[in-house]
Amino acid sequence: MQDAGSPRIARARFVDPQLLAIGLAGGVLSGLLGVGGGIVMVPLLVIWAGYAQRDAHAMSLGAIVPISIAGVLTYGIAGEVRLPEALALAVGAVAGARVGAGLLSRLGDRPLKLAFGSFLVAVAILMAIRR
Amino acid sequence: MSFAILLAALVAFGAVTGVAAGVLGVGGGILMVPFLTLVAGMPQHAAEATSLLVVLPTAIVASLVLHRRGVGDLGLALRFGVIGAAGAAGGALLALELPGRSLRVVFAVFLALVGLRLIHDGLQTERT
Repeated sequence: MQDAGSPRIARARFVDPQLLAIGLAGGVLSGLLGVGGGIVMVPLLVIWAGYAQRDAHAMSLGAIVPISIAGVLTYGIAGEVRLPEALALAVGAVAGARVGAGLLSRLGDRPLKLAFGSFLVAVAILMAIRR
Repeated sequence: MSFAILLAALVAFGAVTGVAAGVLGVGGGILMVPFLTLVAGMPQHAAEATSLLVVLPTAIVASLVLHRRGVGDLGLALRFGVIGAAGAAGGALLALELPGRSLRVVFAVFLALVGLRLIHDGLQTERT
């Protein structure tokens, strides 16, 4: 950590209130919607807390570990977790993540974001209207 | 759909979310929850619970890879994540109180916002 990353990293030996607020926001969103919470934590870490993009990404992923454990336990106690489906998805996701990181450097950002963004909006509409 | 076919479809879809997460920096949950509800026919609460159980190993693997490369501060991340965990338990309890239909609408609004942000980001990105 001495050579790379934002200067914030080296100084942050304790957890400041700003990080706690970001963790809390990410956690609530994660538990409520079943997502990781990185979608709010990464921008907050960059824009509000001043982390470099790469560090913010790593910090968000690290925070998602305890966050998702708490979410899984809470839903698990309520009997909502489907284990076989989760295992099947996880096998694919862990393998896919390696491929995705490699593709990142080769694909154009702009068409991907436009296509994917439009896709998400369409899925959102479908989810809202279907019973 | 037989259970074996469903499992195979899930492995394949898991790979798609993994690729998307790596390429776009958008987590898998955003894709998995709609897939599990719309395609696999899972109720909203179960889809969210199952999605979180997939997010966990993915985040562990990615965190370890980045930690080994010296990116970020895993110890600090885990510490603020513990506070986040309290929020997650609260968020999940709130979700469990909501009817599935309402929760699905909340999720759809969130999904639309993320989609619009990606479109906005895409338009801001330089043409390559």
